[in-house]
Amino acid sequence: MKRAPSIFFYLPAGVVFSVFFWLPLGGLLLESFRPFTPGRIGAVSDAPLTLANYEELLTPSFLEFFVQTLRISLFASLVGLVFSFTLAYWITRRMSPRGRAIAIGFFVSLMFLSVLVRTYALELTFGAAGPFRAILLSFGVYPNSRGYIEVLVAAGLLHYIVPLATLTLLTTIQNVDPRLFDAAQTLGAPGWRAHLSVTLPLCRDGLLAAFLFSFAFSISAFVIPMILGKGRVLFVSNLIYNRFSEIADFPSGAAISAVLFAVSITIVYLTTRYVNRREAG
Amino acid sequence: MGRKIDDLFSGLGRVMNGFIICFLIIPLVVTSLMAFDARPYLGPLPPPALSTRWFSKFFSDDYFLRGLGVSLELALISVCLSVCIGVITAVALDRSNSRARELMTSLFVSPLIVPPVVTGFAILIFLSKLGVVNGFARLLCGHLIITIPYTIRATLNGVLGIDKSLTEAALTLGARERHAFWDITFPLARTGILCGGIFAFVVSLDDVAISIMLTDAKTYTLPVALVSSMRANFDLTLAAVSVLLMGLTLALIFVLEKTVGLNQVIGQGTFR
Repeated sequence: MKRAPSIFFYLPAGVVFSVFFWLPLGGLLLESFRPFTPGRIGAVSDAPLTLANYEELLTPSFLEFFVQTLRISLFASLVGLVFSFTLAYWITRRMSPRGRAIAIGFFVSLMFLSVLVRTYALELTFGAAGPFRAILLSFGVYPNSRGYIEVLVAAGLLHYIVPLATLTLLTTIQNVDPRLFDAAQTLGAPGWRAHLSVTLPLCRDGLLAAFLFSFAFSISAFVIPMILGKGRVLFVSNLIYNRFSEIADFPSGAAISAVLFAVSITIVYLTTRYVNRREAG
Repeated sequence: MGRKIDDLFSGLGRVMNGFIICFLIIPLVVTSLMAFDARPYLGPLPPPALSTRWFSKFFSDDYFLRGLGVSLELALISVCLSVCIGVITAVALDRSNSRARELMTSLFVSPLIVPPVVTGFAILIFLSKLGVVNGFARLLCGHLIITIPYTIRATLNGVLGIDKSLTEAALTLGARERHAFWDITFPLARTGILCGGIFAFVVSLDDVAISIMLTDAKTYTLPVALVSSMRANFDLTLAAVSVLLMGLTLALIFVLEKTVGLNQVIGQGTFR
């Protein structure tokens, strides 16, 4: 009954991940410290190391992209959280078991639906040529204005965030004992007060986790701003792609990637800290 | 007074729920309607006459069909490889102690927390240094990195749920370890493996951010083809493709509901 050592079973995944993921990420970091030679694809491999690619990111024109990405992502995540919490509460507390099953099926289907399809659908419906054009114009909203495009990008993010956050929050709300809310009401608190001082604090960690998931998804979004932003609203991901596809400036793209990577890791670190705390407590 | 505020809030909640559900559904309905539009241009709703012209246009467009072929081939190969690797790794994780399991799982799930564009760009730089220029090979590398995390996690969920005493009993009764795996572990972990396979298929078929970095002039996936034609001209062929993809999603959801149960699926969602 000798068992093969488990290290042997780690080999296939270990090799694939080392060669196609961890090594490339290391290479990316190294590339970000190389000087860019115009007209050359990729940096010269023994070029001296430099911080120039990072210094470039501190100029206002580059910072603008980071600020824009964070601003729209933050907006979409917060709005998504409010809507998702209301939806999740309604599904867990007001719906029949059958209705709940249908609602869950609906949101899971949405999660599985291609992001590209949803982005196209939003552009077709709410974009400059869509059926709502006349209505928008009659309200004085120009579908080609920058403000509207920003809202459209946020809407694209919301279409993904709301199903994700709602499904996350379903479990959170299910774990809150409804009798606590009833008790608060029996003791004379009006409903809104009972929610504010009982339901919401008990859901705090779940809400935070849902928010951080949404935010992490948003800041690394690629297709949504690419299609809905029409080149006028660019996220950091799009900037990385443009560095590669338009001027083949690999070192600069690598530096932007490294920064985006660092921001994402920080958010995920915060999330796991809070989610683990919730599971431990 | 309190009651009135309560009524106000619950009314507001209802309005918000109705609004957001409309927001989620309306674009999909509009797209489905427009896909059957008989007009040769993008006109206002509703379409005056229906036809399947955009569907036939899609199926006679070489550019899209080529992308579809590459996408399907890539998705099938990625799913097969990542399911195999996922099962082997899940067995390894199952045998390790809980500390090692936690550490290794988070290492293997890490591609999900790295922005996909960054992963794609890193692989692009790395492979071009190695001199790998074959588009399909590059795409396969990228897709394996994003599908394996799902198959590992889903299979592990299936394997961890199996009572250890079953395997031990088989081994005590003289079964070889290999037989114990194929007769006990594998059948019991089947739903987990299937679930991981479906996740991997969906992820591979939907990816844009990684694929767009790794394509070459002749080897591109359907989503990459769709994105570039979306930027070039806004044609209703894309609406027809969207309807086809929605149909595919519904079919996959149906399979998942019948085999695994959707409640199981949620526990394995993107970020858990």
